[in-house]
Amino acid sequence: MHRAVRSLARTLALTVALALPAGGVAQTLVIASGAQPDTLDPQATSATSAFQIAKSIYDTLVEVARDGTIQPLLAESWTVDEAGTTWTFTLNEATFHDGTPFDATDVVASLTRIADPDVSPKADEFEAIDAVVAVDARTVRLELSRPAPALLASLASGWGAMLPSEKLEAGHDFGTDPVGTGAFRLDTWVRDGYVRLEANPDYFAGAPAIDAAEIRFVTDAAVQAQGLLAGDFHVIADPATADLPTLETNPDVELVREPSGTVLVTSINTRRPYLEDPRVRRALNLAVDADTVLEVAYGGGTPTGTFMEPGSPWLPADVEPYGYDPERARALLDEAGVPDDLTLDMALPQPYEVHVQAGQIVQDMLGDVGIDVDIRVVEWGVWLGEVYGGPRDFDLTVIGHTGKLDPTGRLGGYGDPDATYTGWDDPEAATLLAEAAQVSDRATREALYADVLTRLHDDPPFVYFGASNRSYAQRTDVNGFWITPLLDSFDLRSVTLD
Amino acid sequence: MGLPVYLLRTLGALAVTAVLVATLVFFATDALPGDAAAVRTGTDASDAARAAIRAELGLDAPAYARYAAWWGDLLQGDLGTSYRERRPVATILAERLPVTAALASFAWLASLLVGVGLGLAAAARPGSAVDRGVLAFTTAGLALPEFWVGFVLLLAFAVTWPVLPLLGLPSDGGLGAWATHLILPVATLALPRAAQLARVVRATALERRRADWMRTVRAKGAGPLRQTRHLAANALPALLPLVALEAGGLLTGTIVVEQVFGLPGLGATLIGAIGARDVPVVQGATLLAVAVYVLVNVAADLAQAAADPRVRDA
Repeated sequence: MHRAVRSLARTLALTVALALPAGGVAQTLVIASGAQPDTLDPQATSATSAFQIAKSIYDTLVEVARDGTIQPLLAESWTVDEAGTTWTFTLNEATFHDGTPFDATDVVASLTRIADPDVSPKADEFEAIDAVVAVDARTVRLELSRPAPALLASLASGWGAMLPSEKLEAGHDFGTDPVGTGAFRLDTWVRDGYVRLEANPDYFAGAPAIDAAEIRFVTDAAVQAQGLLAGDFHVIADPATADLPTLETNPDVELVREPSGTVLVTSINTRRPYLEDPRVRRALNLAVDADTVLEVAYGGGTPTGTFMEPGSPWLPADVEPYGYDPERARALLDEAGVPDDLTLDMALPQPYEVHVQAGQIVQDMLGDVGIDVDIRVVEWGVWLGEVYGGPRDFDLTVIGHTGKLDPTGRLGGYGDPDATYTGWDDPEAATLLAEAAQVSDRATREALYADVLTRLHDDPPFVYFGASNRSYAQRTDVNGFWITPLLDSFDLRSVTLD
Repeated sequence: MGLPVYLLRTLGALAVTAVLVATLVFFATDALPGDAAAVRTGTDASDAARAAIRAELGLDAPAYARYAAWWGDLLQGDLGTSYRERRPVATILAERLPVTAALASFAWLASLLVGVGLGLAAAARPGSAVDRGVLAFTTAGLALPEFWVGFVLLLAFAVTWPVLPLLGLPSDGGLGAWATHLILPVATLALPRAAQLARVVRATALERRRADWMRTVRAKGAGPLRQTRHLAANALPALLPLVALEAGGLLTGTIVVEQVFGLPGLGATLIGAIGARDVPVVQGATLLAVAVYVLVNVAADLAQAAADPRVRDA
């Protein structure tokens, strides 16, 4: 009998020992996210969902810190000359996942590739680069054709990733078999299923504390929340507005809400009758109670009066949100000669429920000032092809414009009526923006952007709601998980699990 | 009609169906506003970048030229390359097929077992409590939509009473983990099919039982088991086309169920590909579905011939 028990105990102990890797329980962080990457080649995509994961696999020369400033990563330091056209980077020592060391030739090869429009949708952000010179193994010099202050932000973005030159020359398929210097390497990618990353013990800035991370693609926000509560997920990236109260009150779960760079708007097609009149567009801003829209549709946010998120260093201090004033809105509409039976066509993008809901609230509010709105819900591809692009067939639409590290990214094209879907026509603004893109001096740039943003307030091509709060939820045993401001990528390097 | 002629005719029908479906799907997908380049670049790229991608994918060529090129490649055995994933379509389908095939075949088997079992049980004593219970089950099974049933099962067995995994496929754990992940999706998918089958089995069995030849069987003193055997032999050929039709219907059912349970199968691929205007993948997945559908029906025809001497010898 005793012997039988002992033998059973031995068997059990052996089973447990075999099931566990040496050193204890393998720690895997499980994240549920609604969006999955199209490719893991960071230079061949512009999708936030791709960079969300690529951030853990690849490194950039510089990166964005939690406070939004740009700090060193693969480059330990850099200098910019007086003219702003020669940038010199000193590199850290790091190793790619395939064992080859990272050096200046990799920077040359990576930046040459990203500047090729046949490879990257982001190529035009790098067109100021005339030459990339490997001075020695740990020094790289960028020679620019003109000052390009926004370039640093591009180098800090996911698409500025460093790839190994040997594999680039060999035409390696980074899309399915990514090789970077990052803190994690790709273990498995089951499309529509999950991405599994394993920790890179040789990471140059120190190996991560967790052994692996799994990003599971769960499109249904309600299922994400249920999975978090049940303990299947450690972090959920897209909690539904309706689930926020439940998540907030559950003691096992922490709901994180922080300001995001996404500016939520009703976009106005300024080419359309009556909407071409700035008075009408100002009236629409006054007729919409932005606080209510942010609270009800988006689960909270901060109002803004122009096309820049509140808290941005570029936002001029004297530009205030429009405020809710339906009386003045009606007066302005009368003054502009808007007829009582004006009906506007509002295209809303599926499957973005929050925007659809916001559109319905706006429809109600515009009804109060005598404007009828016909809502048309269109699938995302249709929205991209017919509203945002192509014939630009809409009067109004509701969308969020994601944050950018540099204002060039958000404001580029505005002022030129053919360059943006709103058709906003302001040659003076276009000139100011062109100038701002080539000036190195920070104060001068700020003044130029302030001017443009004031114009975008006074003559608005949008009804501005404000910036959404980004919310995500995590189990209380998760520490150190964060999402980078403006770029919205996961940073898993300092995650620990209790 | 001999077997070779039958097979030739079926293959011919398959070819014609495939051509018609492929043509229809190609031009329908192409007519959708927005293209793969627009979806890939989203709101974050310049018009020039979008044009470069359009050129790279060959989307600047007219539709009929792309259509002709697709056929040219297909006739050489090449299903093309995905616009979205930038990998061969054949690789993508080969990766996804096992998930859908496992889901569909387990659901098919389950619906067969449950459907026939319940149908026979109900027919044994019409009007009894068992019969009424089966009627309630089949009514519910047919009336409730799959996405709802799936979600309720998830809430019940993965959240409120967490005995089964929430969703997706396990990243490790082998066959056992796979099986537990498939229980709820298979149940969701099998439910309406089992209900449908149970009703038909019950009706067929009742009708046959009242037939003259069954009276003869009973008059000869056959016991319940022997009666059932005679009944089954007679009813089987009539049921086979339905069972085959169900197998075809499973393919559409998997699209919904894969979405609900986050399973990376063909249905999920197809939905993602339509959203991304990934025409080669839509085409490939559709062709595969057509082929499976036709082949299942051929199998049913052959099985029917084997089960029914009148068809076999005709």
